[in-house]
Amino acid sequence: MTKLRPSGGSGGLKFPVVKTLVSTLIGATLGLAAPARADTLLLGTYPDKMFTVDEASGAIKERIQLAAGLPTSMRLSNDGKRIYITTITTSGMVVLDSATRKILNQFSLNTPTTRYRFNGGVPDPTGRYFYTQLIRFDKEADRYKVSKPMYAVIDLQLKKVTRSAEVDAEDDTLGGYRSTFMMSPDGKTLYLFRDKVLVLDAATLKVVERLDLAKPETTGMENVSFAGGVEGLQNPNEYVSLFNAADPYIHNKIFGLGRFDLTHRKFDFTPIGPVPTAMSGLEITPDGKNGYAVVTNGTLGNKRCEIWHFEMASTKLLDKAEFHCRSRFTFGMSGNGEKLYIYGASYDIEVYDAKTLKLDRTWDLGADATMAGMLILK
Amino acid sequence: MKHLKPINIKAQKIGQSVDSLEEDVVALQQQPRPHVPMGCTLSFSPGWEVDAGGGTAGLCQPVERDIYDCYVTCFWPVQVPDHVNYSPDWASNCAAATKDWRNLDLVFP
Repeated sequence: MTKLRPSGGSGGLKFPVVKTLVSTLIGATLGLAAPARADTLLLGTYPDKMFTVDEASGAIKERIQLAAGLPTSMRLSNDGKRIYITTITTSGMVVLDSATRKILNQFSLNTPTTRYRFNGGVPDPTGRYFYTQLIRFDKEADRYKVSKPMYAVIDLQLKKVTRSAEVDAEDDTLGGYRSTFMMSPDGKTLYLFRDKVLVLDAATLKVVERLDLAKPETTGMENVSFAGGVEGLQNPNEYVSLFNAADPYIHNKIFGLGRFDLTHRKFDFTPIGPVPTAMSGLEITPDGKNGYAVVTNGTLGNKRCEIWHFEMASTKLLDKAEFHCRSRFTFGMSGNGEKLYIYGASYDIEVYDAKTLKLDRTWDLGADATMAGMLILK
Repeated sequence: MKHLKPINIKAQKIGQSVDSLEEDVVALQQQPRPHVPMGCTLSFSPGWEVDAGGGTAGLCQPVERDIYDCYVTCFWPVQVPDHVNYSPDWASNCAAATKDWRNLDLVFP
């Protein structure tokens, strides 16, 4: 009975077991009442920095100087431990530790006679290689020589392009420059998502398969295109994205969730609803129950924007609200799903309440955001 | 030149000259598109302070809100310097163009 001896000094709590139980109950109660955990935003800013922003207060926590120049894309590794940033000023690569935000690696691909242009890409599972699409410019004695677009592998240890292969003529479109790259979990297959899905052998950088989404045997829909990835649903085994498409009979535009299995190369589409003119998003809350997208009707001076709120289980539109949208903007969501962000083409972030869809506050960053987008660091 | 094979240096240069003429002359609208250096020199869209529709209603307000991404992508090649080739430091002292545009560097052609 030694374990049940009176502990003393604890008022009416005579036994440690009871004390522990009560403490647990109190803790649980306090836990319910405590505010939701706030995460940290990471975004690129002009002219050459990465900002981390506290999601609770909107205060800038860190200003990370990039010697490689202006950040234009960010990519979180599958394990969430590293962030791969590309820069345009010096054709640079920067690797950040996502926990400490320390720069682990930083270099420029440019030399006095060679320059590269690239934007985005994907690291391989080992974290040593970065796959991208680029163009190379060589300064020769009497002219500049411009390469054709190439798939390329950047060795992050050797800090140079170690392998490249020209893009096939049929895939040579400007759209490829900003395609979304994904890599299979085994690191053997590279994917590019655009109007088609290009499947490349990572060893040879040659296209081994083209999945035309508009063909009946693939999706049964036309004008299919993937938008940006749905961050809330990403995992290493599949690429989850908003997709836009139309049926082949009356050409009714729809949008929904597209999932592409990176191991078995299979699609799964879940239509959600009609697309009025254009749509961006989709942002999913951490519990997977609610989704938000921005719907745009009209163009230029007649443009009207609305935030749409969906219940994901039934794909039912629950609520929508018009907001004053910028000519160009990016839509995002806080890590806890309680705030919606409108940012880009400016120095501020407009914060909307996800429940009421009303403008809550505006965070002034004091620096214009770049087109690198935003990452939520847990 | 399909049935002739150059065997000396002069003949090889003639052959290269003919081949280069066949490959170099391409229209910008041609498919597949010609490969030109990324920069503002060969960017023509859209022109002087107009939006993609040729008007002004779709511009950011004020226009300085969007001027930096134009600086990077050459959307206003006449009045915005070329970040990737000639003026990488144009905005080095000005993080927010709307607030601090007086700190933008001067660019002389």
